[in-house]
Amino acid sequence: MSTAHGEQVRILEEHGQETGRGLNWWGMVFFIASEALIFANLIAAFLYLEIRNGGVGWELPVSWIPFFATALLLSSSGFVHMAGSGIRKGNRRNLIIGLTGTIILGAIFLGCQAYEYTNLIVNEHTTISSSIFGSAFFTLTGFHGLHVTIGAIFLLVVLVRSLRGHFTKENHFAVEAAEMYWHFVDVVWVFVFTLVYLVPLFR
Amino acid sequence: MATRTIGEHTTVTTTGVRRKRFSESYIGEWITTTDHKQLGLMYLITGFFFFVVGGMEALLIRTQLALPDGKVLSPQVYNQIFTMHGTTMIFLFVIPVLSGFGNYVVPLMLGARDMAYPRMNAFGFWLLLLGGIFMQSSFLIGQAPNGGWFMYAPLSELVAGHAFEATPHMNADFWLLGTTLLGISSITGSLNFVVTIFKLRAPGMSINRMPLFSWMILVMSFLLLFALPSLTVASVLLLLDRHMGSHFYQYGNGGDPLLWQHLFWSFGHPEVYILILPAFGIISEILPVFSRKPIFGYTFIAWSGVAIGFLSFTVWAHHMFAVGLPSIAQAFFATSTTLIAIPTAVKIFNWLATIFQGKIRLYTPMLFALGFIAMFLIGGLNGAALAVVPFDYQITDSYFVVAHIHYVLFGGTALAVFAGIYYWFPKFTGKLMDDRLGKWHFWVTFLGLNLTFFPMHIMGILGMPRRVYTYPANLGWNDLNLMASIGALIIGVGVIMFMINFIKSLKYGQPSGDDPWDAFTLEWDTTSPPKKYNFLEIPVVRSRRPFYDKKYPEHADWKSVVEH
Repeated sequence: MSTAHGEQVRILEEHGQETGRGLNWWGMVFFIASEALIFANLIAAFLYLEIRNGGVGWELPVSWIPFFATALLLSSSGFVHMAGSGIRKGNRRNLIIGLTGTIILGAIFLGCQAYEYTNLIVNEHTTISSSIFGSAFFTLTGFHGLHVTIGAIFLLVVLVRSLRGHFTKENHFAVEAAEMYWHFVDVVWVFVFTLVYLVPLFR
Repeated sequence: MATRTIGEHTTVTTTGVRRKRFSESYIGEWITTTDHKQLGLMYLITGFFFFVVGGMEALLIRTQLALPDGKVLSPQVYNQIFTMHGTTMIFLFVIPVLSGFGNYVVPLMLGARDMAYPRMNAFGFWLLLLGGIFMQSSFLIGQAPNGGWFMYAPLSELVAGHAFEATPHMNADFWLLGTTLLGISSITGSLNFVVTIFKLRAPGMSINRMPLFSWMILVMSFLLLFALPSLTVASVLLLLDRHMGSHFYQYGNGGDPLLWQHLFWSFGHPEVYILILPAFGIISEILPVFSRKPIFGYTFIAWSGVAIGFLSFTVWAHHMFAVGLPSIAQAFFATSTTLIAIPTAVKIFNWLATIFQGKIRLYTPMLFALGFIAMFLIGGLNGAALAVVPFDYQITDSYFVVAHIHYVLFGGTALAVFAGIYYWFPKFTGKLMDDRLGKWHFWVTFLGLNLTFFPMHIMGILGMPRRVYTYPANLGWNDLNLMASIGALIIGVGVIMFMINFIKSLKYGQPSGDDPWDAFTLEWDTTSPPKKYNFLEIPVVRSRRPFYDKKYPEHADWKSVVEH
């Protein structure tokens, strides 16, 4: 926040107006909302094609890997929350442990996805061009994997900065932004996982 | 309240002589600036540059179609020219110019010192310029986008089944990557507008006291944030089809070309309102000032804008009536499209009530604003006609649709943009534009646009398809086409008059003073042009017309009007 904004916020407060959350927080919220719409459109396209083909060919070989990966990704949300609530209380140790844990779990998740992809391509001969299901599957999960990668890089930068002692109890927006982004990536996965892996089990 | 001045910094060095940094030179200052006013002007100039580019493309189209069996352009080049005309006007003229006004005016209207994220603002501008140059540069290698501005699949696919080559070269890739770049630029701009408008309003300016232009920019920003993702996804899927071998839009492999249409139009229709809502805002600022009355029905104008925003997400398939949707879907989309006419008509009635019994001063901005109302009304009415499904079957993809879109976007948005330039030019420069030449500009443009676009209704009803390369002489379209082409030239003359006026006024224009129009809103409550810091002291707002209150304290709005 620049000096000019600092003054504006101060004047608003002098006039007894609630200023609430900071500018950056709101910016991040609307950015994530827009990102969420990207996934909404991808999911809509996935469903559209599934219905258009009557669900023919719309299945994956059953494997425990995606379930394991999902458990890891969901528990990583706990770690990133630990990091965020840590620094909000000024606890740098929790911040660093939380961030490291999140990054490790995120990396294992990506590793699982890479393993799953390799297995599909090499053993099952399912690729992005082999069938319409391949196109839809690799695009949807690939887009999510890309977002996990971006989130992990985001967290890595924040981790390096926290090791250098950049964040304090009052001044830590980068941590908060990374936390919001990671939660978002997690929530999206809940939808993608349900659609791609769970729903076919009940058909 | 303590007053602190945030001025331009003067760096005092002990040696007295210091080499200027790059960011302190004239060019460097423009390149490195994060000031919303400078960026706003850069947006406006860039947008106007692309307006001229798109206008020349339009003139080429009209030259090709002026006479039957025309051979001015080759069919391949003609496809590229009409595609780039639409793309340029929508993505590189209207959106940048409207964000330019927004950037310059919104923080001033709200009594803020800058946008919420000044550096991201600069990023958005440079990305826009990059995207624009990238797209136009495709002409250099002769492979400009050629699939129409909505780039329908499978025409835009690399191969469309059975080894039929649809768009084998890079034409479509330029469009897909270019619009994605411009999309990112628009997302950063919209984030900035939304947060600025929500968080940086001056003390006392509740959301219901905010000028209507800011309201409309707010709705536009939300539409961009929530509509652009559809275009991004559509483009990414098409790029994957073209280069990674996926099958999203290939019918034979289980994909569906209609998926492109659904994704594209669920962006494309909100986009139409993105292009017109800020124009509504400009008109709602100009009419009251030149009628010497407060705006009539403020709440209705503001909330009808919001209603249009919501409804715009429910109407996309009215672009697809001819593809064979289930009749229940057609009924739904016809109804929702007709519903949009209600909030739009609410606005028009409120504008008419605003000028009713006002002390009208017919300066150039007011002329353009009145012209806007008349032309937009025609565009709205023939739009409502297109919502009627059986009529749409007959007329879809004909010149009738071209007439409709141009009455809305040229008769509507472009006239509002000119109104805005004439209105805020004194704010930008401290000088007045030549009013006589401005009026000439208006009447020439008004004549030209009606001569160009009105005959297109009739051509459409006579069956002339849009985008057709040429036509034989015996179809009865000759006179109408010639008229339209002459009209296009007249519009071109109007644009040249505007450019002469602009440059002349920039150099020799009469000094305007700070408040030449005796205006109502905060952007005039500072010097013209404003200093870097906008306001010496952040103003405190007590009504919807804070600057009017300040100038005429005995008639101040807050003494008589109850509002929240």
